[in-house]
Parts: sequence; C-alpha cells; structure tokens
Amino acid sequence: MDNWLLKILLSLVKLFAKRDIDFEKLQIITQTKIIMDRRRVRVSYKQQKNKEQKNPLLITLLVYAFFGLIMGFMIAFTKPFLLSMIFFHSYLLFMMAMTLITDFSTVLLDTADNQIILPRPVNSKTIFVARLVHILVYLLQFTIALALFPLIAIFIWGGISAGIAAFFTILLTVALAVFLTYLLYVMILRFSNEQKVKDIIGYFQIFMTLLFTVGFQLLPRMINFEEIMRTFTLHWYSYFLPPVWMALAIESLQEFNLDMLHLSMIACAVLVPLFTFWVMIKYLAPSFSRKLALLQNDQVSLKTREKKQVVKKTLSSLFSTLLCNSASEKAGYEMVWKMTGRDKGFKLQFYPSFGYIIVFVFIIVFKSSSNFNATLQSLPGSNLFLWLIYLPIFSVSTSKTILPYYENFQASWVYQSTPVKYPGQLISGSLKALLTKFFLPIYLLLFAFAWYIWGNNIIDDFIFGFFNNLIIFFLLEILSVHHLPFSQQQNIKEQSGRFVKVFVQLISIAALVGLHYLALKINWLVSGLVIVAAFIGYYLIQKIKSLRWKDMTI
Amino acid sequence: MSIIQISGLKKQYSGNYVLKGINLTIDAGQIVGYIGPNGAGKSTTIKILTGILSDFEGEVTVLGMDVNKNPIEIKQLIGYIPEQAALYEVLSPMEYLQFVGKLYQLEEKIITTKANELLKLFDLADKTTVRMNGFSKGMKQKVLLISGLMHNPEIIFLDEPLSGLDANAVILVKEILSQLKNAGKTIFYSSHIMDVVEKISDRIIIIDKGTVIADGSFESLQQQASLGSLENIFTSLTGGSEQHQHTAQQFIDVLKS
Repeated sequence: MDNWLLKILLSLVKLFAKRDIDFEKLQIITQTKIIMDRRRVRVSYKQQKNKEQKNPLLITLLVYAFFGLIMGFMIAFTKPFLLSMIFFHSYLLFMMAMTLITDFSTVLLDTADNQIILPRPVNSKTIFVARLVHILVYLLQFTIALALFPLIAIFIWGGISAGIAAFFTILLTVALAVFLTYLLYVMILRFSNEQKVKDIIGYFQIFMTLLFTVGFQLLPRMINFEEIMRTFTLHWYSYFLPPVWMALAIESLQEFNLDMLHLSMIACAVLVPLFTFWVMIKYLAPSFSRKLALLQNDQVSLKTREKKQVVKKTLSSLFSTLLCNSASEKAGYEMVWKMTGRDKGFKLQFYPSFGYIIVFVFIIVFKSSSNFNATLQSLPGSNLFLWLIYLPIFSVSTSKTILPYYENFQASWVYQSTPVKYPGQLISGSLKALLTKFFLPIYLLLFAFAWYIWGNNIIDDFIFGFFNNLIIFFLLEILSVHHLPFSQQQNIKEQSGRFVKVFVQLISIAALVGLHYLALKINWLVSGLVIVAAFIGYYLIQKIKSLRWKDMTI
Repeated sequence: MSIIQISGLKKQYSGNYVLKGINLTIDAGQIVGYIGPNGAGKSTTIKILTGILSDFEGEVTVLGMDVNKNPIEIKQLIGYIPEQAALYEVLSPMEYLQFVGKLYQLEEKIITTKANELLKLFDLADKTTVRMNGFSKGMKQKVLLISGLMHNPEIIFLDEPLSGLDANAVILVKEILSQLKNAGKTIFYSSHIMDVVEKISDRIIIIDKGTVIADGSFESLQQQASLGSLENIFTSLTGGSEQHQHTAQQFIDVLKS
C-alpha cells in the first residue's frame, strides 16, 4: 500500500512541481524512508521475538484494519447514529495521536538525517518536500487502515451524504491528531532534554501496550453500551470536543439540518483543524526543528546533571539491608530493583502482564458488570478470596522469566570476572527484589480489599498464602534453568522449556490451593500450616542461595 | 592555489561562541590534520565547510565557491565522513550505498559495481545485503568511508576517521588517504589526539576553545614546542605532563586507602 501511495503522491508532486525540486533525488529519498519505515520494529507488538521481521509495518496495519472492521460493525449496530459517529471519531483521534507519538516519533525526532542527507548535494526544498511526502504516506496508510471499514459502514448505514461528509471529517480528525502530537513534542522539548523526551515516549509506549493487551479486555466489561445507548444526551460541555463537532457535522449533512447549532458545529469541524494546522506550520514546526537542532549541538549542556550528588539512602538499599545477609545477595537485590525500573525492554514486556492481575480480578470476582452491587453483597459468603491470594503470582512470575534477558547482555561479564563463590546468592537477591518490588505491593493491596469484604478471619489465610506464594516462586526458580539477571540474549530457541515450566507452575499452584481450600474446613489448621509453609520457604531459599557456578547456565 | 578559504569565521550557539574568528587558507593536494581537545570546535568547522551548518559569521569559500551561495555545487565535489557512525542501520550496506550514490547522481549500475568492489576490499563482501544493525562500529565506519568517497570527490572531510577501526583497517585507511593525496585530492580530517596519522599530515592545525593556536608541519610544530611556546598545548593533547602525573599519584593513593 505504501508503495502505490508514494507513487500517487510523487506523480502529484511531478505535476505541480516547481523547478527547484530535484525529482530523482526526491524519489530515492522517499523510497528509502519507506523501506526504513517498514523495517522499524513496532513496540506494541514486540511480544513475538523473531528478530528480523520482514515487514512489521504491514502487521501493524492489518491489526489496525481489523480494529477498523470491529468499529465498522459497531457503527452498524449502535443507535443513534450520532453516538456511533462520536465513538468513531474519538477512536480515530486517539489511535492516530497514539500511533504518531509512539511509533512515528522515532522518525520525527531522528537527527541522523542532518548527518546523512545534508552533506550530500540535495537542495533544501527537495529535502523539505521529501519529508512532507514521507509523512503524508505514513499518515495516509494509517488513516486507510483505521478508517476504511468504518467509512464503508457509514456509507451503508448512514447514507451517501453522510459517507461523503465522513470522508472529510476523517481527514480533518487526522489533521487534528497531527497537531496534538506536535503540540506535545514542542511542550516536552521546551521543558526537558532529548533523553527525557525519549523516556516520556517510552511511557506512552508502555501505556499503549497495556491498552492493547489489557484495555480491550477490560473496557467492554466496564462500559455498559446498552445503558449509554438508552440514556444518550449531549451535555453543554460536549460541544467543546472535536469528535462531537465531526459527528454533528455528519449528522447535519445526512439530515440536511442546517440550524444554528449544526452550522456552528460544521464551522468548528472545518475551521479549527485548518487553523491549528496553520499554527503548526507557521509556529510549531519551525520552533520544533530549531529545538531539535539545538539538542544535537548542545550536547555539553545535556550531560551535566544537577550538582547535588549527595548519596542518599534509597528504598532499594534500605530493603536490601533488611532482607539480605550477604554482600552478593545485596548486590543482586539492588541491581535488579534498579534495572527493572530503568530498562525499557523489561518494562515493556512485564507491565502488561502485571496489568492482567487487574483483569483477572475483575473477571473472576465480578463475573458480569450488570449486577455489580449484588456481586459485592454475595462476596463475604464465598471463598473467592483464594483467587485474590493466588492470582498475583501468575503475573509476577513472568518477571522472573523475563529477567535474564537484556539488550546489552554482554555487560554480564562482571559476574564472572568478580570472585563470586555462590552465584545462587545473586539469584536469591534478585528473587527477593522481584517479590518486594512487584509482588508485595499488589498482595497487600488485594489483602486490604479482601479484609474490607471478608473481615478478620481471612488474615491467617493471607499469611499462609503469602508463604505458599513464596514456595511457588522459589520452586519455579529451582525447577528452571538458572540464568543470572540481565545476562542472556533474547532469542527464539529459549522457548522450548516453557511448556514444562508452565505445567509445573500449574500443578504446584493447584496442589497448594487445594491444600489451602481443604484446610479452610478446619478452623485452626491454616494457622498451623503457616509454620510449615514458612519453614519450606526458608529451606527453598537456602537451597537457591547455595547454587554454584556448575548449576548456572551462561 | 588555495582550495579552502576561511576568514573571520565565528559561530555561536545561543550566545556561546564555539568558533571565535578562524582564518585559514588551505592549498590543494594536502593532508590537513585539524586537531584539538573535545569541544574545541572541530566538528563545527567541518560542518560549516561541508554546508551542513549555514548560519555563521565570516566568509567561507570551498573550491572558489561561497558555501552559502553554491552549497549544492560544492557538496557534489566534496566527500564527508561523519563521526559516531551516523547511518541508517536498518538498511544493508548495498542499499545504503545505493541511496547515497543516487543522491550524488551516480548511475545505479556504477554504484553496484563500485560498492561491491569497495566492500570486498574492506572485507565486507559477505555482508553486502545484511542489515547494519548488527554491525560493529568499525564495520559501519568502513561503509561510511565508502559512502563518502564513492563519487571520487576533490576534497574529503573526515571527522574522527579512525575511531573504532581495528589496527589493520587503520593502516589501510592511512594508506588510502596518502594515495588519495598522491592523486591530487585534498584531505581535511579532525582528531582529538595527536595519533599516528600525524605522520601522513602535511600540515597540522591545532585549535582550542574556538581559536587556532598553532599551525604548521609536524616538524615545525615540534620545534616550536621544544622552545616552550607550544608546550602546554602539546601536553594537553598528548598527555604525560606533570599535572597528569600528579592526578595519577592521587588515583593510586585512593586505591590504597
């Protein structure tokens, strides 16, 4: 698709080109850019680990087209038509802005062009047009993927006039999304440096991944469409929202309704995007490229941090002194605590699975959202709190599976070059870090929730469950291949042992939950078992600590 | 005949002058080493000479043409090899060279044959169609060298050309540079150390904090240095001064403590 879009745009340029534009160079620059777009690895779908995908862009576009198909059905079945139009335009605005921020930002913020294209004999007008054509190809292919099916649906269920109107409102919405993205960039660049910008974009990427994995499970359960459809009204403040302008503009053309309200909405729908676009080209874009050029040359000022380098007690060093009793273990603990908070690769892979805890809690505890209050009242009589005890470890244990993998895995030479006698202590330290950083907070949170509903008599269950979770977590480490944290290269072969691991995980969890369930029948038994479980947990961690180099897989 | 002429060149970044009035005349057919500590303004000068930076004060002509008036004509006749391996990593060497070659208006066939031969000479024959994300810095530097030389330019600008190359490649590149000089090309390279390349340079220009502080052949600079006037510069660039000895001593003391 990108190729024929490029061909169309290039022939348009050729038709209207001024003499200053070197057409052949324009062609080679844009073609190269498009090849690079295709090869750029998309963040949101990084889950599949095969390294050199042929065309990640195409996969992304197909996924978007699939969303578009769903959106098309939504348009068909949502009444009133106006509501579905508001949904659709909000969706388009959101997806477009998010895609631009998370994916295209790498292109917009890339300063490599200055080094690669500027020294070559290409005039600035050609470079400018090449950039424009490149951005347009990108925008158009995403617009088509996102909006093609919905547009067809609008033509079928809204009529021809609505379809034609929608064609324009789609383009206007995209223009608005571009403006919003630019505004965000200029704002971030104003207040911070390049590294910050990349960090912020990283957070957007994590948010997007979370949304793709968790949001699509959760949102339909939380939003009651039937309820909204029944009670749909426009409040005064909704007239400030761009999707509402667009939707009302379509409605007005569909019904040939040209009253004051609809006319002013059409005016907003057309004029605001055009005005913001003008502002962007006139003011934002030049200031943006100026800032970017400055960033590149101003390296000195970027690297100096604030002077106050007072060594303060961090949370990780506080915990490590409390929980670890050897220097190697402490080292493992603090390193894992800090790296998991800073390595984007880890965060991108782990946080989404962390988000699944919330999804599962929702799905299991509130099976259907319609009788929310009724479910809440029936809870105290049930044993559902067992789920709350044993769910978190499913997600948290993925952190352990991800932990060995790191982009810059060569850095792990320090493990071997230093006189570490028991590498198992590094591992026990890292396990403790994962437990205190990810498991403990969510467990306490779920405990608070359970305590609120079930009261005092579940306290011993949560203590027992806590040690059981430790047992499961440690057992997983003992049964799996031992890797030191951040020491392995991500590759495909590693997957083979997965099934066995998951199987053992399930069996052990099932056995412990079963035991716990049976123990519930006898009042004092749970408290009694706490001591046994604590002892087993202690035994297991000692075993991990005593692992030697010959037990490691490097 | 002077091939590069710089007079009164100043350049500022938001009020800070990184170049504070540079005057230079460079003759054709020479190898010029442009040397100075980090942040002295070497890269900025090269970026102005190659037409990458256009807002500066003063006058700069390359091959008799004003850098700001005829940038395209100049760029066609010069080659630029940047530092820190800036290239499009998702492309293969062949794709990248095709891209750059076409920007120099070379024909596709010619680029293919030239690129194949040159990559082979640099031991990259088996990697012509492999994407460059996995390349080492030295391998990327080789591709960059080819991309800046493929169109057979009159003047070659190199920004830290030897960084990241292995010992054999360093010798090869040095040999290539001196043979290019024999063929009548002018070479202008920057470096932050007085490294081995000093021996192939006809002229060494030392800049510090945006001004030229020494200029001449290696031998004449050495003579001046022994007289005392250039001592500080030399020691700051080559290391091994009393100051450094003192710092080293302190370093050892801290280790012992």
